[in-house]
Amino acid sequence: MLSKKQESLLQKVQKPARYIGGEVNSVVKDKSKIKFRYAFCFPDNYEIGMSHLGMKILYSLVNEREDAWCERVFAPWVDMEEEMRKNNVPLFALESGDSLSEFDMIGFTLQYELSYTNILNMLDLGGVPIKSKDRKNLTPLVVAGGPCACNPEPIADFIDLFMLGEGEEVTNELIDLLEKHKEMGSDKYEFLCEAAKIQGVYVPSLYDVSYNADGTVKNIANKATAPKRVKKRIIGDLNKVYYPDKFVVPFIDVVHDRAVCEIFRGCIRGCRFCQAGFIYRPIREKNYGTANRQAKRLCDSTGYDEISLCSLSTSDYTGIDKLIPEMFSWALKENINVSLPSLRVDNFSDELMDELKKIRRSGLTFAPEAGTQRLRDAINKNVTEEEVISTCEKAFVGGWTAVKLYFMMGLPTETLDDIAGIAELAQKVVDLYYSNPGKPKGKGVTVSISVASFVPKPHTPFQWEPQDTMDMLVEKQKHLLSSVHSKKIQVSWHQSPTSFLEGVLARGDRKICDVIYSAWKKGCKFDSWDEFFDFDKWMEAFDECGVNPSFYANRKREYDEILPWDHLDYGIRKDFLIDENKKAHMSVTTPNCRQKCAACGAAKLNGGKCDAKR
Amino acid sequence: MQNVRVFFEKTGITKYISHLDLMRCMTRAIKRAAIPAWYTEGFNPHLFITFALPLTLGVESLCESMDIRLTEEMSFEEVKDRLNENLPDGIRITKVAEPIYKANDIAFAEYKITFYTRKNEKIKNEIEDKLSCDELLAEKMGKQGKRKVLKTINLREFVNSYNVISLNDKAVLTVVLTAGSKNNINPNLFVDALKLGDDVDFCDIIKQKMLTADFKNFE
Repeated sequence: MLSKKQESLLQKVQKPARYIGGEVNSVVKDKSKIKFRYAFCFPDNYEIGMSHLGMKILYSLVNEREDAWCERVFAPWVDMEEEMRKNNVPLFALESGDSLSEFDMIGFTLQYELSYTNILNMLDLGGVPIKSKDRKNLTPLVVAGGPCACNPEPIADFIDLFMLGEGEEVTNELIDLLEKHKEMGSDKYEFLCEAAKIQGVYVPSLYDVSYNADGTVKNIANKATAPKRVKKRIIGDLNKVYYPDKFVVPFIDVVHDRAVCEIFRGCIRGCRFCQAGFIYRPIREKNYGTANRQAKRLCDSTGYDEISLCSLSTSDYTGIDKLIPEMFSWALKENINVSLPSLRVDNFSDELMDELKKIRRSGLTFAPEAGTQRLRDAINKNVTEEEVISTCEKAFVGGWTAVKLYFMMGLPTETLDDIAGIAELAQKVVDLYYSNPGKPKGKGVTVSISVASFVPKPHTPFQWEPQDTMDMLVEKQKHLLSSVHSKKIQVSWHQSPTSFLEGVLARGDRKICDVIYSAWKKGCKFDSWDEFFDFDKWMEAFDECGVNPSFYANRKREYDEILPWDHLDYGIRKDFLIDENKKAHMSVTTPNCRQKCAACGAAKLNGGKCDAKR
Repeated sequence: MQNVRVFFEKTGITKYISHLDLMRCMTRAIKRAAIPAWYTEGFNPHLFITFALPLTLGVESLCESMDIRLTEEMSFEEVKDRLNENLPDGIRITKVAEPIYKANDIAFAEYKITFYTRKNEKIKNEIEDKLSCDELLAEKMGKQGKRKVLKTINLREFVNSYNVISLNDKAVLTVVLTAGSKNNINPNLFVDALKLGDDVDFCDIIKQKMLTADFKNFE
């Protein structure tokens, strides 16, 4: 419920419905009957934040509790922020309209590094001190989780504790504990010491980090009750874990505005550049009956006309051949569209293709990631050119006329020949289209190639690799453009300064905290938005803090260097990552987990169970 | 197949939901409510739904309407009840009936505009003065061929009737403005044209009636 004052701002801003709450399935509780208030914050705008499945799960999970109320908070758009600051309206949660400082726990989800300045801005707008050490009271406690929590050091000064891994269990354990300590009147340190005993909870203030003269980490020392290494949490059985039967249905058009059915976590592929492929291990599948039931229930409760399957590599789902016909049996009747993202090229079966023809025909998307076989082998993207071509052939015969190909540049061991290979592969796809005698009359083909800049990430075999400098990336982009000779090929790429900053933040240590603070002070926010990203301000911030960003982005690390995230245990053995790194440099592939277990170590997180092992 | 007209209110914070968003909201409510509504037949079937007249963002209404088609029999009461169970707070179905007029028959809309002000008498007099003139000029983006140009229009021509009263801390203007598919006066534009200045803290606009050319309620 908004106050008159809050509402008076809405007349002056774009898309006021971002700030009104009141959506179907949003949860409003009686404050007087609630013991614990949790503000779930997404550090980006409403449209982006509302697409996030993790928030939907945890929002419903906490709201199942009678004693707690979970609300949503998003970063207000710049026009709204200006009005809020001008009129002294603090950042508020959508459900109650209460300001952030009134909550017991404020939780941020860390989906991408370039959202970090928004965290600082949101705390500040909400009237909450930005630095952990300046928040003397037990509440509001500021916590964070999500993929970037696998190296949270660059924001360790701002967050009281991090939750590593999957949140369904640890969130409730943390709420129970904080509730108890609030009642007991404990101080913040007492609570944090107890919280550090929960598996998956990382309290950065309970670790001292010292550095060598060359700037590398010398030692990470745990204090008090904190474990030497914090082990991430996982959910053992996806068929038993909570999954919401309702989603909040936004009024305005948001990203991925549809029902989502999660079918598995983890990935069998082991692509060496992919952080998600390592930090979500081991693979655990939901059986297709459960998935189908949950999907149907969500569509009924939301009224969505689209549902998508969510996982890392959807066509690796062992139940896919059973799930799709089952979902189609009710979805088609109810005019619901089923969309399947991230299908891999290599196991796109004829049967699946036939099923897909029944639904709306959008573009086909493949991710060969690299232009030559040698480089694809180096990054362990086990896809061959023949497979790409044969899949496109099937697709063209099936009537598709648009193909999107995703690539990366700046990959370890990459040469200009590999870059030219991207254009060559795209050209082969164009030629293939015109060689199909049955192609639709008067219709041309569009091959879009989207080239991202590779950013080495923690907990991957490439965590030691130097990132290409901005100059190198610009040169490669030019080379790519000069290698494309067809108007049927459209090329798009990422801005290299953005990737550079992402690289610094991804593998940064605690010295980056000051830089982020300083950049925010200078006005940096919404860094992932091209129209707001201000590289010069960031460089000033690095300069003022005496931090050299290239040290983090472009430096090659030795295997024996202590990495800033070495005390965070994601189940993957370091030896395994080193082996994978060495194999990359020899262009040697590793079979996927179903073909042969690579003994990465993640299965021990789940009592030795891994769904890839038969 | 039966044509059905659904009348509804859009009040409170739902006034901030745009026309496009409202369409989506209604489509989903109809789906959740399992109303046997007709889908267009074509390559890309979608629920058939048409609104009589789009409502300006930021304006509340007691008299919105939309038409749908039923493929199976369902009583008007049941359509109303089912929809009300599935709509967000602020959007409420008031009546479901057979359409009498065509959407094109709408000629006027009556708005109640409440100006919150401590100088209520002064504001009342100011409004009356301004509306007693022959001219009330406003600038509006219009089209000249394909180009977009800023046009000055005389809003006074589109004011059919009005009445102002002064209450405790507000002045309340009830005004009937030209509405419909040909010429639809945006009440916010009208309020801006009155140029009442800083004496007004804020104002609320509610659309109360949609009227035909002979001033019958649009039904």
